[in-house]
Amino acid sequence: MSKHRVSRRQFLNYTLTGVGGFMAAGMLMPMVRFAVDPVLKANAAGDFTATKLKVDDITKEPERVDFTFDQKDAWYESEVTNTAWVYKNEEGQIVALSPVCKHLGCVVAWNTDKKNPNRFFCPCHFGLYEKDGANVPGTPPLARLDEYPYKVKDGILYLGKAKPRKEA
Amino acid sequence: MKWISTDIEMYLKAAEYVDTAIIPLFPVAFGDGMKESSAKTEFSGLLSGLLERQFRGRVILLPGIPYLNGSEDSLILQLEEWEKVLAEGGLKHVFYITSDIGWKQRESRLGGSLLWMPSLPLEHMDEASKMSVLEDQAKQLMPLFARKWEELDGV
Repeated sequence: MSKHRVSRRQFLNYTLTGVGGFMAAGMLMPMVRFAVDPVLKANAAGDFTATKLKVDDITKEPERVDFTFDQKDAWYESEVTNTAWVYKNEEGQIVALSPVCKHLGCVVAWNTDKKNPNRFFCPCHFGLYEKDGANVPGTPPLARLDEYPYKVKDGILYLGKAKPRKEA
Repeated sequence: MKWISTDIEMYLKAAEYVDTAIIPLFPVAFGDGMKESSAKTEFSGLLSGLLERQFRGRVILLPGIPYLNGSEDSLILQLEEWEKVLAEGGLKHVFYITSDIGWKQRESRLGGSLLWMPSLPLEHMDEASKMSVLEDQAKQLMPLFARKWEELDGV
């Protein structure tokens, strides 16, 4: 024990500084957090979601791939499952097409109409798309199927948000 | 399309392409039947939602109709009214989706098509298996829609 005695004045000074410090920190911390938040966010994987599909397993035949991510809808947070049709084209590039019909938003599937093999078929109004996503003229859809941007990491396919295709 | 304002806006622009209504029928009971009827309601609700997602460009998913157990017969009379109004609005196909077996014996008295699916015990499943089970069930129902439409379009 030291012989130095703390005077009443000193004691009050220490206490006030301590408490004041905590209060200041309590105010400043959220502000600092707020300021650096975008930096921290960039560390996350971005908008890409991992699928269960290995890149090596992708064939030339379109394959249905489901992937799940969290979506916030106002205050309601839910898991959303999206579907993509994934295949490798003639040049060996990966193509991931959205299954949402450009007509009115039904779900299209590969090769389900017997009269139109090797095309994407929409059961609602019999819309058709070629394998590369191009709409078949004379059927209701007026645009190509949307395409997912993709990334490959550790041999696994990651898909982003579906985007309308640029005209080739 | 769902019964929400954004979808209905889309419907108003594309009404000529939409000719099918889905009406879920939800049984409600208290006492002993509470648990069972809630499971049936949950199951048919989820199933209707999935079907809407598949066929959103051609169907309207109406808000489900709840009814007390035992009041099915009076509901049939109301449904006749519903069908009349829907037909005037261009929705000539009506599909009722329910897990209540009581509708099976009343099927012939309904104007629309009845899709009855026994409810499955979803409460013991995790999210992923729930989804795959429901999707399997929906897949079995999808051809019924396609067939109904083909009859009409004469394809």
